[in-house]
Amino acid sequence: MTDDSASQDAVVIERSFDAPVDLIWQMWTKPEHFRAWYGPDGATVPVAKMDVRAGGSRLVCMEMETPGGSVRMWFTGEYREVIQNQRLVYTESMCDEDGNALPPQGTGVPGGHPAQTEVMVELEDLGGRTKMVLTHTGIAAGSPGAAGWTMALSKLAAYVQPLATR
Amino acid sequence: MTLVIDEDRLSETFAALASSTRRAILARLAEGEANVNELAGPFAMTLPAISKHIKVLERAGLVVRGQRAQYRPCTLNPAPLEEVSAWAGQCRAVWEARFDQLDVYLTRLRPQREAGEHDD
Repeated sequence: MTDDSASQDAVVIERSFDAPVDLIWQMWTKPEHFRAWYGPDGATVPVAKMDVRAGGSRLVCMEMETPGGSVRMWFTGEYREVIQNQRLVYTESMCDEDGNALPPQGTGVPGGHPAQTEVMVELEDLGGRTKMVLTHTGIAAGSPGAAGWTMALSKLAAYVQPLATR
Repeated sequence: MTLVIDEDRLSETFAALASSTRRAILARLAEGEANVNELAGPFAMTLPAISKHIKVLERAGLVVRGQRAQYRPCTLNPAPLEEVSAWAGQCRAVWEARFDQLDVYLTRLRPQREAGEHDD
């Protein structure tokens, strides 16, 4: 696991996959593929509606088995940037099954979750293989295109961390 | 992970951080306390505008104002940033598990893909 300063605030994960870039793109944009990998650890994705174009909406349901029965969580969001095989940016908020956003305290998610987050997927064609960089940031609700402040914040967090533990 | 994250505060922290001016103020305070005049120095902004930004940071708990009458220095409180960091840690673990699963799924698809290529 990489442990650089970027891991202190936003989540930035870089991975390479042994598959061509157009297939990795489909993993994110074709519901039948997305549902197959997105819900690991006993979770399934019974619903994935994706209108993959800038301004299009998405609705994803995750179902988890718990001792008390199965629990469904719904997420909605909007696609902000869609550049095929290169770059996908979408927002994500918890919602009800009709796609109405919920305030975070009403969702019962353990560990907490910011009201709205932004997911950015960047793909690079390595000739049959694909490099993928995922950036997941918490953003202020309603602020357009908050991606980009991540790196500045990483520097700040890296600077602050030694002070915090002193 | 035993740290319990306050969801409302987390959102407030992200909102406070969503401004380059406020991040610059925090970066300056990471070097040591400063008053409003000192913080305003690098910006082409009025003092009231800077004060407004400081108030947002104060409400989010990222900045604490001193009580000394005229001077009232601002200091950085890193605690909310640690919550951001804890959220990121949990989020990272979820994504890593998903991508492990994606790897498995891609491996399952490979025979189909290769069969498809041979059809040409």
